[in-house]
Amino acid sequence: MKRKLVSALLVSTMAVTAFVGCGSKAEETSESTATANSGDASEGASSEDAIANLIAATEGTVNIDLWCSETEQYQTVMKKLCDDFAAQYPDVDFNITLGAVSEADMKDRVLEDVEAAADVFVFPDDQLEALVKAGALNEVAAQYTYDMNETDTPATVEAAQYDGKQYGYPFTASNGYFLYYDKNQLSEEDVASWEALTAKAEELGKEVGCETANGWYLYGFFQGAGCTLTENEDQSNNCDWNNETGLAAAESLQSIASSKAYKSYGNDDLLANLNDGKVVAYVSGTWNVNAFSEAYGDGYAATKLPTFKVNGEDKQMASYSGYKFVGVNAYAENTGWSMLLAEYLTNATSQEAVYEATGEGPSNTEALAKASSPALDALAAQSEFAQLQRVGGNYWSPAESLGKNILDGKVSQKVLDDAVAGITQPVE
Amino acid sequence: MKKTWKIIGRHLFLAFLAFVWLIPIFWLIVTTFSAQKGINTNHFFPEHWTLANYHQLFFEPDSAANFPAWFKNSMIIGVFSCLISSCFVIMTAYAFSFIDFKGRKGLMSFSLILGMFPGVLSMIAMYFILKMLGLTDSVVGLIILYSGASGLGYLILKGFFDTVPVSLHEAARLEGASEATIFAKIVVPLSKPMIVYTVINSFLNPWMDFVMVRLMIKSKDPKDWTMALGLFQLLQRALVNQYFAYFCCGGLMIAVPISILFIIMQKFYVEGVTGGAVKG
Amino acid sequence: MKNLLNKLGSSLKAFGHSVVSGDIWVKLSLIIMGAGYFGRKQIMRGILMTLLEVGVISSIVGVFMPYMSKLNTLGTVQREEIFDIVTMKKTVNDYDNSLLILLYGIIGILVILAFIALYIANVNAVYRIQKMAEEGEHINSFKDDIASFKNERFHITLLTLPSLGVILINVIPILFMVCIAFTNYDENHQPPTYLFTWVGIKNFVNLFTTSQTITFGYAFVRVLAWTLIWAVLATATTFLGGILLAQFINHEDTHLKGMWRTLFVITIGIPQFVTLLLISKMFGDNGIVNTMCANVGILDFFKHIGLLSPGDACIPFLSRPGWVHVSIILVNIWIGIPYQMLVATGILMNIPSDQIESAKIDGANKFQIFWKITMPYVMFITGPSLIQSVIANINNFNVIYLLTNNYATGNMYMANSHAKECDLLITWLFTLTNEYSNFKMASVIGIVTFVICAALSLLTFSRMIGGDKEGVYR
Repeated sequence: MKRKLVSALLVSTMAVTAFVGCGSKAEETSESTATANSGDASEGASSEDAIANLIAATEGTVNIDLWCSETEQYQTVMKKLCDDFAAQYPDVDFNITLGAVSEADMKDRVLEDVEAAADVFVFPDDQLEALVKAGALNEVAAQYTYDMNETDTPATVEAAQYDGKQYGYPFTASNGYFLYYDKNQLSEEDVASWEALTAKAEELGKEVGCETANGWYLYGFFQGAGCTLTENEDQSNNCDWNNETGLAAAESLQSIASSKAYKSYGNDDLLANLNDGKVVAYVSGTWNVNAFSEAYGDGYAATKLPTFKVNGEDKQMASYSGYKFVGVNAYAENTGWSMLLAEYLTNATSQEAVYEATGEGPSNTEALAKASSPALDALAAQSEFAQLQRVGGNYWSPAESLGKNILDGKVSQKVLDDAVAGITQPVE
Repeated sequence: MKKTWKIIGRHLFLAFLAFVWLIPIFWLIVTTFSAQKGINTNHFFPEHWTLANYHQLFFEPDSAANFPAWFKNSMIIGVFSCLISSCFVIMTAYAFSFIDFKGRKGLMSFSLILGMFPGVLSMIAMYFILKMLGLTDSVVGLIILYSGASGLGYLILKGFFDTVPVSLHEAARLEGASEATIFAKIVVPLSKPMIVYTVINSFLNPWMDFVMVRLMIKSKDPKDWTMALGLFQLLQRALVNQYFAYFCCGGLMIAVPISILFIIMQKFYVEGVTGGAVKG
Repeated sequence: MKNLLNKLGSSLKAFGHSVVSGDIWVKLSLIIMGAGYFGRKQIMRGILMTLLEVGVISSIVGVFMPYMSKLNTLGTVQREEIFDIVTMKKTVNDYDNSLLILLYGIIGILVILAFIALYIANVNAVYRIQKMAEEGEHINSFKDDIASFKNERFHITLLTLPSLGVILINVIPILFMVCIAFTNYDENHQPPTYLFTWVGIKNFVNLFTTSQTITFGYAFVRVLAWTLIWAVLATATTFLGGILLAQFINHEDTHLKGMWRTLFVITIGIPQFVTLLLISKMFGDNGIVNTMCANVGILDFFKHIGLLSPGDACIPFLSRPGWVHVSIILVNIWIGIPYQMLVATGILMNIPSDQIESAKIDGANKFQIFWKITMPYVMFITGPSLIQSVIANINNFNVIYLLTNNYATGNMYMANSHAKECDLLITWLFTLTNEYSNFKMASVIGIVTFVICAALSLLTFSRMIGGDKEGVYR
């Protein structure tokens, strides 16, 4: 707590907008905002004072519920971090309860009854919008122990914003996808393009692939080919996948998928076949890092996604970049302490601890610098082709269906037209 | 001679059916011994055999799984809701079958209609009613939830009561027995097989529900969950590859009380009803 | 309905008459409901009635009134919060929660209605007692009252608790969800942070007319059709199968009856969601059954006879329309027959054996006996419950949800309204509410389904328990 005032600067959305607007030169801007704010006498109370106030005003036990992933690694490291947090404030009696909730379901569990949900929870970036729309997230109005604009990568901070307001504390930046492969069986040329990859796998009698009947992955192909998918303000989507490029991309993907070696496995099937030694390369993410490194042994490798041919031209497959945030419930019993806990969980040392426990890449630049693994390097290589996921809810079902049509070899202009009609259908 | 062949054929056929019915169960059983913790979709038998999963099941509760606690919770909820809902069903069925009170037909039609509304829809309202009563996250709340509406399931038992001769009822009345006495001393003992069926059914429902309980139990600490909820959680994407064998063990263990229940109760089926009294 | 109105009218008339011609005790009980009983020395009854009155009135005023008064708008004050950066405290205004207003409002109305009915009945009862006292008849003591609940009013004793449970767990939630269909409760209007409000029949209009939601109508018709087909097929197959299996095991030539029965019943012992999940893994596109089928040549055989096209890499048991429907029905047979066998065993044991004997003497063969004697008897007992199991199957969530969790539809029109070919209405509703928070459309679909089911089954039901048949086997 010896730090100087680091914060109270995200108060205004102006700081944020300035930040977003300035792109790569943002750091200077945000620093100058910080100075401006801390120099301002009216808001000049230091963060230490605020925390001291809070400690003074706190009576009795502070109960905080924290929900995070149910995996053993996560639970252990979070438990330790919570204990460390409590140890930092010896004058306050904490009762921090850890809950095991599947991250993919976090939004559903929280929204069932916001008032009964955890005070602090970890969620993936694609749930941000739904949570904000339901009013479940507390706005990060100020920061007290560090300033995320200085410490975290701009992309992750921006990803946790909605309508120009900061709603989440960046936690990990490795929730995207890339290609795992076995370098004992495949060369770097083999994994450069889907065409080469499928050809080689056929020759080896092994399997490669990507979960095509899933909008999250399917996006990579169309985006990479040069189509667009964006979200409007009313949560409906813009999508041009039914133009000539889109059709060409779909046909190309269809011909890739028609290879005997190409598989579209869900996670369970993927892991079963991986353990059997059938899968030699697959598009997945850090959540499967242990499974792949065990299965491939010293052949374990990861790289950016392959290219694929559209109208005879090699196009780099794009992807969604994925993040995890720590959010504070808008209905938290102890907003102040919940915010401090969220900050603690997302600071540089905590992120480092989480990286060591789970292998997930930190969003904090300092922690990121210390983290290195094939998976994170592959993510970094893919990152220039990765976009932040901002898509309306009407995207997923039609996209899944489109993926299924591609796998079944039923691509036609009409299928694409129907898919686009579904994706872009108006929201009431 | 022909008859012998027929009998053999009959048993072969039964054996074949039993085989079809038991094969998934068999897979479940062999998977519990699998050293591989995830799902193996490519082999029927595990490649390496072990008993470690059972040890983990009973003695190593962790942050995601706590089978002993689940078993206890489910047992308490199951037994109490079973008692209450069996009573409710028997009471409702008796009232509708034997007593000709005002509004009986209307009530019966009404209850039938009620049963048609999709339950998934009203789950949220049920949750908030329990919350209003302060009973979310509690065993009592779940017992109320599972047994409260059980009266609606009276039809099959009523159908059975309808076959009990009116003469029996009338004779008892003539001898001065009250309705309550007839109910407790004559009709209930007569209907053992159907009551056994009712009891088993009312036990199975809370024992196996995972949709409702997921909404009603807000605690995310595994020791507060029920068996069905806990096992279902193990199938979530993040866990399934560490816990599938554990899940199978748990599933198999759930079957034990049910099987015991049935074996105890089976004699009621086999003996049937003591003929004389009914046909009296 | 007309009956109900008549009854209402007559009880009101009686109420008026009671009030006018009642004595001081009757008039007093207009205010203190127990007064009439005190006057006739029914102290216990009087105390109970008064306590009830006090309890109900205070709960209405204390708990429900604040909510009921906002029922017309479902709340107007949206939640607003101010976070003080310096003290780190949050202040929140006194906001309305539409959901609680609606729920508590409904409960409040029900309580008031019940109370009015009780009030009227009470005054009438007090007047009746006054009449009895005047004519010198015996007035029930508290003991007599209790005794009457074991005898002439035994049905009240039996039905009170089950009815209360049904009201709490069934009626109130249903009323609540019916109301939701007339509001704009969706992902953009989620309490407690945001308010929702009444929108009239707009959602119903949306389901049937607007072009925007045209796929809703498209999907609805298909999902409904499959739901009905499924419900009838699933019920019929397991019902018949169960009886046949029970007969087969009960046959005099079968040895070890208990063992066979137990073997089948073991499958009930294992929870559905465990077995269903296992089956869905076994029959998955990359599952063990597919591996085996490919190995022994069944895959090629299917291609040969044209069931599959040459390009197919696997048998799409659970991943293609048609296939998935057949698989679901077959799996359901697997799930359902042991249950039905249990039921049928209990019933078959009870068949009047004299009928079968005499039929045998008349030279009837097995099939004739089965169709002419066994089936009518079983149908009579289980007939009403058959409708119930059709309805249960319409709402059969587990089988479909667990088997087809990974199913992706190839039909764009279905996908655009978040439906799948193999969805039942109930699983579709679940997706709509659980994943898309679209409660209003889910409610509308729920109500429309409900109306269809209710109409269908009331038709059959009134024929099946049409009064006259009840006594046949007595």
